[in-house]
Amino acid sequence: MTPKSTQKVTLGHTGRPEGYVLGAAFDEMFSPDGATRKEYALLRERISTLGQEELADRQQTLERSFLLQGITFTVYGAESATERIIPTDLFPRIIAAPDWERIENGLSQRLRALNLFLADIYGAQQILSDGVVPRDLILGAPSYRREMQHLFVPYSAYVNVCGSDLIRGENGEFFVLEDNLRVPSGVSYMLANREASRRTFPDTFQQAGVRAVERYPDLLLATLKSMASDRRGNPQVVVLTPGVYNSAYYEHAYLARLMGVPLVEGRDLVVHDNRVYMRTTDGVRRVDVIYRRVDDDFIDPLTFRRDSSLGVAGLFNAYRVGHVAICNAPGTGVADDKAVYAYVPAIIRYYLGEDAVLPNVETYLCRESKQLSHVLANLDKLVVKAVGASGGYGMLVGPHASAEERAAFAEALKADPANYIAQPTIQLSTAPCLIDGTMEPRHVDLRPFILSSDRVVVTPGALTRVALKRGSLVVNSSQGGGSKDTWVLAESAGETDA
Amino acid sequence: MMLARVADSLYWIGRYLERAEHLSRVSAVMLNAALDRADLAGEATQMALAALGDSKPGRLALPVESARALALDREREGSVVVSLSRARENARQVRDQITTEVWERLNMLYLRVVDVRANRAFNADAPGFLQETIADLHLVMGAVGATMSHGEGWRFMGAGTHIERAQLMARLLKVHFDKSLQPAADDHLALVTLLRMACALEPYLRVYTADVAARHILEFLLFNEEFPRSIRFSTGCIEDHLGHLARGREGYCGEPLRLAGRLNARLAYAVVEDVEAMGAGALLATVESECATIHQALHDTFIDYPLESRLPA
Repeated sequence: MTPKSTQKVTLGHTGRPEGYVLGAAFDEMFSPDGATRKEYALLRERISTLGQEELADRQQTLERSFLLQGITFTVYGAESATERIIPTDLFPRIIAAPDWERIENGLSQRLRALNLFLADIYGAQQILSDGVVPRDLILGAPSYRREMQHLFVPYSAYVNVCGSDLIRGENGEFFVLEDNLRVPSGVSYMLANREASRRTFPDTFQQAGVRAVERYPDLLLATLKSMASDRRGNPQVVVLTPGVYNSAYYEHAYLARLMGVPLVEGRDLVVHDNRVYMRTTDGVRRVDVIYRRVDDDFIDPLTFRRDSSLGVAGLFNAYRVGHVAICNAPGTGVADDKAVYAYVPAIIRYYLGEDAVLPNVETYLCRESKQLSHVLANLDKLVVKAVGASGGYGMLVGPHASAEERAAFAEALKADPANYIAQPTIQLSTAPCLIDGTMEPRHVDLRPFILSSDRVVVTPGALTRVALKRGSLVVNSSQGGGSKDTWVLAESAGETDA
Repeated sequence: MMLARVADSLYWIGRYLERAEHLSRVSAVMLNAALDRADLAGEATQMALAALGDSKPGRLALPVESARALALDREREGSVVVSLSRARENARQVRDQITTEVWERLNMLYLRVVDVRANRAFNADAPGFLQETIADLHLVMGAVGATMSHGEGWRFMGAGTHIERAQLMARLLKVHFDKSLQPAADDHLALVTLLRMACALEPYLRVYTADVAARHILEFLLFNEEFPRSIRFSTGCIEDHLGHLARGREGYCGEPLRLAGRLNARLAYAVVEDVEAMGAGALLATVESECATIHQALHDTFIDYPLESRLPA
């Protein structure tokens, strides 16, 4: 056994530890010369006083607390189902105030523009008539819901809850990689990670001046209530979940509990005379706002997919006549489609007359013949994604694919170019993680959460997802990803957020 | 007012927790009884199995094997691990309705019994394992009482607890008193075993001193007003919970209460002499079937009522 004192030395003092090898990617904690970035100074100092064992203890305590709280997802095997926690790393990712200000402005601008875009698409379709976005791209998308045409949505807030994915490029600049406008998840991890990291590094947390995320549930409730169309005294809000077998069930229950509203399943609701009721022990009760965590396709078997047993028959008609609010509105997926993504900077300019604060990742639309030939010529350098698919399906990562795979994909591309986009392979930024007792860099992204109704509120915090395999760029929890807390620092360190 | 599905889950959490506790205790007592006297093992095992409604167990396995099956067999309906898994699954579905304290206690207990190390712990010290499970269940129930609002949800849970408890106690007494009252009557160790299975030994001694007699035991476990595991106590609790649930609601919500009141009155105004004269079997059978009727009435009134009658015109 090595004594504790020598182990402390291996972690170094306040600069980059010896084993922490910087790659081409931007590192969140250390600048290329090995010095600790200013926003991480306090944390670095604290870590340097902790031995390997103490860090491992804290990591274990953290994981144990997640297991106890039941923050788990279920892995279904051949015979049994086991519950696992999503791996959680104890080091927080820290974002300096000026960087956050830019993110906040950028996300708020983006969501305002996307809501205006949705109001236009489901209204006069001016942007299509003006030729800024191709008409067939929108009206032909499976996520476009004809049923939503000319429906009134309060404040034109089609998207009430948004969880955008940001990444940080090699020069440290933040890009938007994806807009999640349908039923974004992960906010419960943001809150649970905060709860945990506050206990892991209590003093550092206090000294650093971390902005609070704890108001998210009441801001969400206020957002949902403001969407009630009937304006009855105190609108009844419910969270609609597909049920306990859904992988995000924990989050649905968590949000319902923190908002103090019922968590309902489709079978708890019934539509009568175009009004929505829930079955209670006291007979049926009127429901005014549904925060649905069920996809468009499944909310109403009469309007959308007929084989759905998760939804409520007649719900869409009740929504259409304005007797219930559904958040997010059905049909928002048309604005976070991978091909529409390429047009978002133009959409922002069209509605707001501003340049996008947060840039897009450069995107080639294969539907344009010039861009298609560029993509075909550079398949070995690009990531090609199918427009309708998600979660890493229908995707080619050029630099990692074999020549045969690329050739096969080129054929698919030529056969249906409109179905594909391509982007350069980006080295996501890295942040320190505790891997087998030592600090090592791992690639991360950033998912902040934005609420919108009469105004747009960006929660000063986020879910940082981590690709736990060395060198991997895939942060999805289904593919070996984990998460960590995200500290957004207040203007001047040492001052706590009001 | 709460979601009907939620009320149902809370009710079942009450039932499953009670069932798990009873099974753990009965199994632990059975193991100890088998140590004391080999011939007692058979009856003790039978009493234990009766808790599952298994009145005619076929081949009787060794007490330790029976105990293991009752505790850890995931295929066996009613085993401790199955009951705890169901309680926890229900709790997960109403996670927003129970407190974090309740959830974490229950989840911790569940994780302990489904852990791969549970079998090893059981082999090393089976009574210890079972006692620890009972102690953990007391922590869960303690958290329920100390942290949850004693409102509607808590009442549904309490109704579940006591309907289950009354039924389990009735079954336990039936096995002991129904067929072979006389031979067992003087068997001191068998009677003490019964009291232990009912978690009643110490409270009994305080009332009757060390005079362990079948008649006193029957009186105590059927009619004692203060002992929380007597049938009379449970029927009183059921009536109380259903009374609160019916309060302020329309008339038809009083049906479960009416049934509970009738059952409670039977026990409140009975005397042990009559029961002795006629045999306990009839009364115990009534308790079991009336509890089933109350369960059904509660379900039909609050949980799965016909929708047409409750929608606004």
